[in-house]
Amino acid sequence: MTTLSDLKISEVKLAAEEGGKWGMVIDQDICTGCQACVAACAMENNIPFVGEEDSGYGRAMHWIRIERFWEGEYPEIKMTNQQPMMCQQCGSAPCEPVCPAFATVHSQAEELNLQVYNRCVGTRYCANNCPYQVRTFNWRDYERPEPLPNQFNPDVTVRRRGVMEKCTFCIQRIHKAQDKAKSEGRDVMDGEFTTACAQACPSNAITFGRIDKEDTLVYNMIHHGHSHGKKHLEELGTLPNIVYMNGNGAA
Amino acid sequence: MLKKIFNWLMQPIGLIAVGIAFLSVFSAAVYGISLTQQTPPQPIEFPHQTHVQFGIQCLYCHPGAAKGPAAGIPSQAKCWACHNQIEKTATSELLAPLKDAVLNGESIQWVPVAIVPDFVQFNHRAHVAAGKNCEDCHGDMSKVNIAENPQVMNMGWCLNCHIETAGEDQEKLIKLTDCGTCHY
Repeated sequence: MTTLSDLKISEVKLAAEEGGKWGMVIDQDICTGCQACVAACAMENNIPFVGEEDSGYGRAMHWIRIERFWEGEYPEIKMTNQQPMMCQQCGSAPCEPVCPAFATVHSQAEELNLQVYNRCVGTRYCANNCPYQVRTFNWRDYERPEPLPNQFNPDVTVRRRGVMEKCTFCIQRIHKAQDKAKSEGRDVMDGEFTTACAQACPSNAITFGRIDKEDTLVYNMIHHGHSHGKKHLEELGTLPNIVYMNGNGAA
Repeated sequence: MLKKIFNWLMQPIGLIAVGIAFLSVFSAAVYGISLTQQTPPQPIEFPHQTHVQFGIQCLYCHPGAAKGPAAGIPSQAKCWACHNQIEKTATSELLAPLKDAVLNGESIQWVPVAIVPDFVQFNHRAHVAAGKNCEDCHGDMSKVNIAENPQVMNMGWCLNCHIETAGEDQEKLIKLTDCGTCHY
């Protein structure tokens, strides 16, 4: 006899196999936790530096962070693999239905969770409803002393005070690659471009690409590569598009 | 107290005072709105009309429009390529800022006219490739001197054209009306 909870999980798995356009594979076994992705993301996406005081209030702004966990009881503790955590670009995102201004909407074209800065009124409902805790809020217009404004990425909006923001899977790079491909009369090739975090990763722990085509690297890594791939908090029915591969000594 | 003021205002002289107050507020508002609709002052009163009449293509001075996001405003080097061969440049008062800029090696601070806010990511190339002509958005430059916007460039105006362009093509409509196409 199938219980209600069994039903839900099977439904989720079915939908997860169908959905998603862009995806990511993060190999935690080779992630060294060097924070290069965090720095690269901040540079690429014009993320402000909040300073010591606001950081102390828990207002630090990162679209990607490295999480660390420990196993066992002190003093017999063992550190588990580093875990880069960013927006999982959920197929059924908990942040989306709670926005009263429709500022966080699902892109039908790219199948990503969008954050429309000019619509956002700063209620912060989405951040409170995100099970991954990856949304950050602009509590102030953070100062960027000269010459920092010179390194702004012109393809990304500089957010102002009072709006929510989060990882976009570098949608500006997606658009740039699509634009370039279109101008040359072809489709976007697999591996032609990648996100800032994946580009900066020195151990190639992050791989980004299409998950809806069978001949892409990410698709093959998910389906034929590692046997320990899993999605975080999949049991909530969020349909995340990032697969974490974590042998953690098991292999 | 209020009753007293009301009674005074109901006199003929009071009614005239109310009329004058209303008119002054109204005209100030009209003046304020008209200020936002004026073309900004440019360092040189650049006559687009004259240049178009000489047969110079838009893309000669704004070549970025066919290649990438920004059409670009030409540097004085591009102006000078033609203008140093034109006798009038040396004596013309209107062209004095250009001459100064070239001789002193300073750039001319043109004021952009067709602008979108920071949260809008506009790409000229895609629009040119889709068969849009410059004058569809920027107006007929053979009829104006200093560049001006023929219409208010807002999101409704963008979307009207996007929906019209997509027509019956559902996939195109999804792409062209997606928030993430312009806002990120």
